[in-house]
Amino acid sequence: MTRSIVVTGLGAVTPLGGDFSTSWNALIAGRDAATPLDLFDTTKCRCHHAAVASLPPLPDKATRRLPRASRLAIPAAREALASAGLLDAEGRSTLRELPFSVSTTAGAMALGEDFVRHVVTKHSSKSPRHLFSEVSRYLPQQQVLDVQQALGFAGHSVIIANACASGANAIGHAADLIAIGAADCVLTGGFEALTELVFVGFDCLQATAIDRCRPFDLNRSGLLLGEAAAFLVLESAEHAQRRGVTPLCHLTGYGHTTDFFHLTQPQPEGIALVEVMRAAATQAGITPAQIGYINAHGTATAINDGIEAKAFGAFLGEALGSTRISSTKAAIGHTLGAAGAIEALFAIEAMRSGHLPPQLNLQTPIPEIATALVGKNESASGMQHVMSVNLGFGGSNAALIFSRSSSP
Amino acid sequence: MKIDLAVIGQGAVSPAGTGLNALLHHEPVPVPVSVAALGQPGQSWPVLRVDLNDPALARWQSESRLRRASSISFFLVEAAEQALAGVSPADRAKTGIIVAFSAGCVSYSRRFFEGIVTQGTASPALFPETVFNSPVSHVVSVLGLNGAAYALVGDETAWVAALQIASVWLRQERVSQVLVLGAEEFDPIVLDAYRSARWLRRHNSAHGFLASEGAGGILVRRATPKDARKITIARDGFIYRTRKEASAAAQRLFCETDPALPCVRSAEHNWLRSLEQKVTANRPAIPTDNRPYLGEAFTASAAWQTLRALTCLDHHSPSLLLPIWGLNYQLGLLEIENAK
Repeated sequence: MTRSIVVTGLGAVTPLGGDFSTSWNALIAGRDAATPLDLFDTTKCRCHHAAVASLPPLPDKATRRLPRASRLAIPAAREALASAGLLDAEGRSTLRELPFSVSTTAGAMALGEDFVRHVVTKHSSKSPRHLFSEVSRYLPQQQVLDVQQALGFAGHSVIIANACASGANAIGHAADLIAIGAADCVLTGGFEALTELVFVGFDCLQATAIDRCRPFDLNRSGLLLGEAAAFLVLESAEHAQRRGVTPLCHLTGYGHTTDFFHLTQPQPEGIALVEVMRAAATQAGITPAQIGYINAHGTATAINDGIEAKAFGAFLGEALGSTRISSTKAAIGHTLGAAGAIEALFAIEAMRSGHLPPQLNLQTPIPEIATALVGKNESASGMQHVMSVNLGFGGSNAALIFSRSSSP
Repeated sequence: MKIDLAVIGQGAVSPAGTGLNALLHHEPVPVPVSVAALGQPGQSWPVLRVDLNDPALARWQSESRLRRASSISFFLVEAAEQALAGVSPADRAKTGIIVAFSAGCVSYSRRFFEGIVTQGTASPALFPETVFNSPVSHVVSVLGLNGAAYALVGDETAWVAALQIASVWLRQERVSQVLVLGAEEFDPIVLDAYRSARWLRRHNSAHGFLASEGAGGILVRRATPKDARKITIARDGFIYRTRKEASAAAQRLFCETDPALPCVRSAEHNWLRSLEQKVTANRPAIPTDNRPYLGEAFTASAAWQTLRALTCLDHHSPSLLLPIWGLNYQLGLLEIENAK
């Protein structure tokens, strides 16, 4: 990176809580948020549960009418700006021009689903204008606009839809903008609301677990879908210093690449994932052994976790075992477009607090990384660097490295 | 944002045919076909479609990676291959790709969800192809690209964001060149959507747009003083929700530009056209009235307009402005110049 980049604000709404600290405390306590799913009909699905977020209350009628995706994103973004000291007394951003780098995979797809349902069943009692309101607002740029209008800022925005690696890509792009001097401060992160199309999609691929989600377990049977929104405020170190803000940590490394082996499966040796972790470590100027904790992608699907474990072995080498690893998807579910963002937040907080998110629901760990997986009540004070990695459909791979603020 | 991109390759797939020549000089003018809306089978609308039997597109059907892909992937692969013409396999491996979508894989998404609604079941073969970045993954695989890859979502202005990201990657030296593309495919469900917005043109009417499809793209690298065709500035962030806000955004869009710079009027057959005429009234205009209309294909249209604007550099002006009129979120603007 050409300019030093710091993290100054964090915010999240997850199935474990309506703000980041509640979510973090529940995560460290070993809670998982799997619950019977009643947002839509799952009668014909194999799986009937998901990690569902409780929507935080919103202050006015207008925002209460917004789609679920916006109702997750707005409070998370507000919390991030507040914790960075960028909200005024009216709850509006103090920066009227604030670049926004965002990720999602489905936007407010539930509105699009309603529209298709009305069209194909031809039983709509809704007026054309009402239908237009639904279909025009399902697109992701409308949730971005909801956040911008709710928090009173405008400016350059970008929506990255690189499947499940999108959140890491959005953060990485924000860092790139600051690094080259195209921005001083960027709000970045991702959001994802549970929708029927996506839930049935993973279910019909038989990728969802019908019992517990067990990342990195030999008996894993699939993923737990979830929903969340998570945002960070990134700034150049000079900008934060000028504002008199103490950084939470530095963002020091970002790698991203594409694995073209298969649309939905990683290359069997995880070559692209190894490459992306090495790229991030090189940019951060550190060796793999210096990474204290990795928040893994760990979907608990049959294919992903075995390949990811191999990739960690290849990347970490002898450091495997001293670097601690866990997937937090057993607790909050796979939040798709939000995953890269919320998991980055968890990695940062692990470094700051010294508490490590335990690998939940583990019975028979994959032997390759058994010694590296985080147990209950583990802590590791003094970690200097942490990493978050994500993989997605289409072969998207991304890795982020965050470093303690005393580090370069 | 100053982006300074040299355009070194171009590609297009449109209802006019495949290739830049078809986009710029097509004869005969593409003829709309009549397609019924899903929600009102008795009501049809004129639509501009890409001919999938065009040999340039049909040749990709033998690619195993595309065996389940919908038309958007074929449009993209062909437009990307045109833009990469002459680029060696070694250089392709260092090429990044950014694709801007609005509706993206709308055909399979509709079919997948329609299966859930009408039959209670859905095809597992369709689901992975509904994901926004799956066509990008296909292009990467089929054409042997090995650089970074992003899929972006938005209205027409996602094209502007894609150009900005390309500039960032090149300045970061993450890749040596970047393919920037926009692509959309048609599905009858979009007629229902556009109809509800009163955006569509009826038969024998001059108002509203024709739904369209296709892809367009450019291959870019960091510009040097020697480069001829360059996109120098990309501005976005002029957001709006109401037409009143759009009017204010349009005024701001041009406020930092040289008033002598000519403008390509690019708002075609939509409600933003009168706004464009108003805010560019005192500015020299590049004549574009004789070019055939290719319909509204959102991010693909933004790419086509950029390709057309690049050719204007040769005939009309050494530098110009190209507004990108987003129909659903924001307005953007490109400054394009010919240094020679």
